[in-house]
Amino acid sequence: MISKEELQRRAKRRAARIRQRRKDPRFLRVLGRFVDDGLLFVNEEVEPFRGRLAIADVLWAGELEPRLLELLPALLVKRPGMFEMTSELPEDLERVVAELRRGRVPGTFREIPGSDVHRWLLRVGRPGKVPALLKSFRFTPEDLRLLEHLAEKLSLSQTDVIRRGLRALA
Amino acid sequence: MLREIARLLDEWLIDREVEARVEGLPRPRACTIRVLGQAALLERGLPLQLAATRDVDVRADFEDSARQRFAALLAAKGRELDPLAHEAWMPRETRYEEIFRGKFVRLLLADVEAILISKARMAPGKNRQLLTEYLAIGPSDRFIELAQKYDVDLEQFT
Repeated sequence: MISKEELQRRAKRRAARIRQRRKDPRFLRVLGRFVDDGLLFVNEEVEPFRGRLAIADVLWAGELEPRLLELLPALLVKRPGMFEMTSELPEDLERVVAELRRGRVPGTFREIPGSDVHRWLLRVGRPGKVPALLKSFRFTPEDLRLLEHLAEKLSLSQTDVIRRGLRALA
Repeated sequence: MLREIARLLDEWLIDREVEARVEGLPRPRACTIRVLGQAALLERGLPLQLAATRDVDVRADFEDSARQRFAALLAAKGRELDPLAHEAWMPRETRYEEIFRGKFVRLLLADVEAILISKARMAPGKNRQLLTEYLAIGPSDRFIELAQKYDVDLEQFT
């Protein structure tokens, strides 16, 4: 094992590079938005930023502050309006967002454990709410008549009739 | 911030004690709140650039009403109790420093070295920059000893 002094010497060099990168306007913009939105708390003065963020900037800034990466996927699902161009995501981020939309815990995302990413899904945006998923089924004419009848009788939407049925069978 | 919240919780429990006496109910139970993780580091005012998400990692022996009150006081500051704090691994050697003692509430902060070893061992990728900064300001002998004991490779942070 290397000495404590050598560890410190190497770390000082790396820390100086990190400090320099943290002055980059991309980092300051991203941090400013996350802090202003109450998503992150920091021990330094940060200029608030209220504009939309470029995904590329958040990913870049996330190399300096990984908690940005921890929050990003859940924010893309629950608060996409925070970001520009949300339809063009890198493959790994797109995969993680797809898993979250399916209500699944994703794999590790850029060294962030999937469980850490997933836990924010219910806690950002509207708490406790996750986006619903579209599913298609083939119903017989009799099924459809029954569905329409129950919806009218119970004053529910047809979707809610099916939801109630699922819970009754669970 | 946490010290102030502990004080407010203590005042609230003192009020509950008065009510309990009047109504002949059991008095509230005292509680000890141990703060871990990033929240503890932020509370200590260290010369490191720190960022924390909303959740506050604590281990506490609250009664349910006190836990709810503590959570409400945190929420007023935009923070939340981390529901998984009890699962966080901390070294057996963790020391706690008392930063508030009231009639009902004790607030303790986990020591810096123990928190950083926990982060280095359990989530090195997420805490790489933090560990680098800490090593740059000069790690304590205790930190180095804990790293050796728990087999934490510190070179990965340089």
